[in-house]
Amino acid sequence: VVDDLVLRIAVAVLVVAFAGWVALSLAVVLGRARYDRRMRRPCSDALSPGTARRLTRRIRSRPRTEWGRWRRVTALQRLERAHHPAVPQLVRVVLDDEDTRIAAAALRTLGDLGDDWAIDILIDALRRGHGSRSRIAAELEALAPAPGPRLIPLLRDWNPVVRFWGATLLRPYDGVADSTLIELTWDPDPNVRAAVVETLGSRSGPAVGTALLARLDDNAWFVRVHAARAAGHVVGADAAPSLVRLLADERWWVRTAAKDALRGLGPDAIPSLLSVLAHDDLFARNGAAEVLQDVGFVDFLALDNPSSPLLERIYAAGGERFRIATEARIEDAVEQGAAAA
Amino acid sequence: MSILGLVVLVCFAYLIFVNLIAVVFLAAGGIENTIRRHDDDSTDYETLGESRFTIPVSVIVAAYDEGAVIEATVSSFLGFDYPEFEVVVVNDGSSDDTLERLREGFDLAPYEVFARHVFPTKPVRGIYRSAHHPNLIVVDKENGGKADAWNAALNVARYRYVCGVDADTVFDPKALLQVMRFPMTDPGRVIGVTSQIATAAEPEMVLAEPPGRRRIDRSLLGVYQHLDFVRAFLNNRLAWSRWGFMMCSPGGFQIWRRDVLEEVGGYSTTFTCEDIELTFRIHEKFRREGRDYTIHCLPDTVGVTEGPDAVGKLVSQRERWQRVINETVVHYRRMWFNPRYGSVGMVGAPFYLLTEVLSPVIEVLGLASLAAAAILGVFDWQVFLVVLAAMAFTHAALTAGAVLLDDMQSRMYRKRDLARILVLAPFDMLLYRPIIAYARFKGSWGFLRGDKAWHKFERNVRAPA
Repeated sequence: VVDDLVLRIAVAVLVVAFAGWVALSLAVVLGRARYDRRMRRPCSDALSPGTARRLTRRIRSRPRTEWGRWRRVTALQRLERAHHPAVPQLVRVVLDDEDTRIAAAALRTLGDLGDDWAIDILIDALRRGHGSRSRIAAELEALAPAPGPRLIPLLRDWNPVVRFWGATLLRPYDGVADSTLIELTWDPDPNVRAAVVETLGSRSGPAVGTALLARLDDNAWFVRVHAARAAGHVVGADAAPSLVRLLADERWWVRTAAKDALRGLGPDAIPSLLSVLAHDDLFARNGAAEVLQDVGFVDFLALDNPSSPLLERIYAAGGERFRIATEARIEDAVEQGAAAA
Repeated sequence: MSILGLVVLVCFAYLIFVNLIAVVFLAAGGIENTIRRHDDDSTDYETLGESRFTIPVSVIVAAYDEGAVIEATVSSFLGFDYPEFEVVVVNDGSSDDTLERLREGFDLAPYEVFARHVFPTKPVRGIYRSAHHPNLIVVDKENGGKADAWNAALNVARYRYVCGVDADTVFDPKALLQVMRFPMTDPGRVIGVTSQIATAAEPEMVLAEPPGRRRIDRSLLGVYQHLDFVRAFLNNRLAWSRWGFMMCSPGGFQIWRRDVLEEVGGYSTTFTCEDIELTFRIHEKFRREGRDYTIHCLPDTVGVTEGPDAVGKLVSQRERWQRVINETVVHYRRMWFNPRYGSVGMVGAPFYLLTEVLSPVIEVLGLASLAAAAILGVFDWQVFLVVLAAMAFTHAALTAGAVLLDDMQSRMYRKRDLARILVLAPFDMLLYRPIIAYARFKGSWGFLRGDKAWHKFERNVRAPA
């Protein structure tokens, strides 16, 4: 009985499996051949009136399955490539899809269009949160007609997320809405403050500098992070005494940002850094030694005056591994110099 | 009915059940693959690749005795077409010339970098920076295993997302961008992403060819490993991803949100390998706490990893994989059939238990009892052969399905190579499965004995340039 039962089932499985293997293998080879043939043909985006009508109907339909929703996106993309006049209207329909991935795909179409009206739709989508806001922002920034001043109203929106994106997107537009941005450094929402500070990092002027230095003491650590980087850039060497203070900040990311900003100042930061070498805080001492190493001051001292007491102070702040790394670097440099000579 | 007959029937029923599950997974994988393809087509990579809103990533690499490949692989990591990223390579106390190769190849100089010590690791001996690649950091530390090395890299890494990669894997320049599109869309929910990786004896040679002309290894071992990888990703992981229980982000390429890694305590050094255990641990924590999250697996082939070119090396690798699967599934047994863990507890963990932990025993028992039944006359030899053929073609059909999904997604390999592997697929049961069954049985035995060694296989010998 077992023998017979197993045989019957095995034969049935074998028949189905064999047929499946043949069919799927053929699908691979034939599908690939068809694809290769299509790739060899010259590409044409033109659509017949019938196809355009069919695609338009598909976009206007309300599919219930995920598959159907993606077919809508594909239809929209084909119409967009053919520069069909109904596209602006149809994009709005797809943007309203509750699935954010579908909305994001429609956003890409807007980016490709690059027309003036696309900016309004994208800004509107950004306000309403249709699709991923970072994707919308990426498309807005890549658009050929730059949105520029049309972003300013976003700074006054009731929604802090919209204010955040408004401030972020204004970064490339030097001089646009500077005073509003400075006001927003006191926004109640820390994310908005962080975005504003980051944008102000690309501006200049004493008012901007003062606003940034004030944010170095912000309650939110991530605002201090952005403020440190921005202040280093805008204020320059005058910001060094305030930045070295942040080397002893309670948050690691603030200390890292302070190091980055001081590194960016180069030799101008050295006097302020030297004043921290005997700081009570180990992180501050380590950070100062690391930046002095990165701006080349440690190597300079080690080559120029290896017995300098200042170098010993830096070694004391950096620790034993710091000293070993420096000595190894200097040794390599001396060897390379000798070889070159 | 004799006991032998009963054993045969039970094993046969198990095989049919497992293959039915595989068919369901393949169907779900097919839907997921199609949706991902649409999604991929509609993503504006050009804009994303230049956008400052792209989230920076720290690529972390653990290297132990990788002198033969390290320059090629690190160059591939540095070649990622991605706006902002850093590469942190940890030389985990290699006994070969890995560090020297890195020093020479990338013009490294020793620098001190004061990093956080969020995760305890073996002592760090030195940190190096490259004169030519400001985004490359090399950490030299005492040997502590891959998990320990990755933890050391995490201490130095500074970006919000971390991409763990293997030092023997070469990547497509678009890999990071393709995968990071998910966290960019929904950074609050997407805590992990992985994608398909292919295998080859010499990965750097595969990616040197343009898509559509890439070759699949000519050796049988290479072909069957390739098919094994394609099946693992497209027959299983895509469906898991679709249903919310992506149970294993492979060590070759896994992206995690850094705060999640910090929350769960980083990579565990107490297991044989780290990848599957970490994925289970994250699921366990997030499901227990009722948090909303997703871990994705994508069908795109983002890189090629080095597969063993000899049977002994393959057995050693698969034996280790089996051990860690057993360690992990048994360690997280509280999730088995536990509705509190949702699809992870009711489908993902039981699936692993049924198809990975128990299968080595059932496979061996099934084949042995069927052969014994045929020898003792309980069964006719014809039945034995028909059952074997049915198993072989079931496997071949599932393989062909996976190859179809892979080719629809990537159009990566030459047509004639695809035809060759499809013809070879039915012989997998005869030529490859016995090796894997042996390795898995050995791994299960090693697990019972408490073996936790890595048993790293030697790198494949390259033909002279």
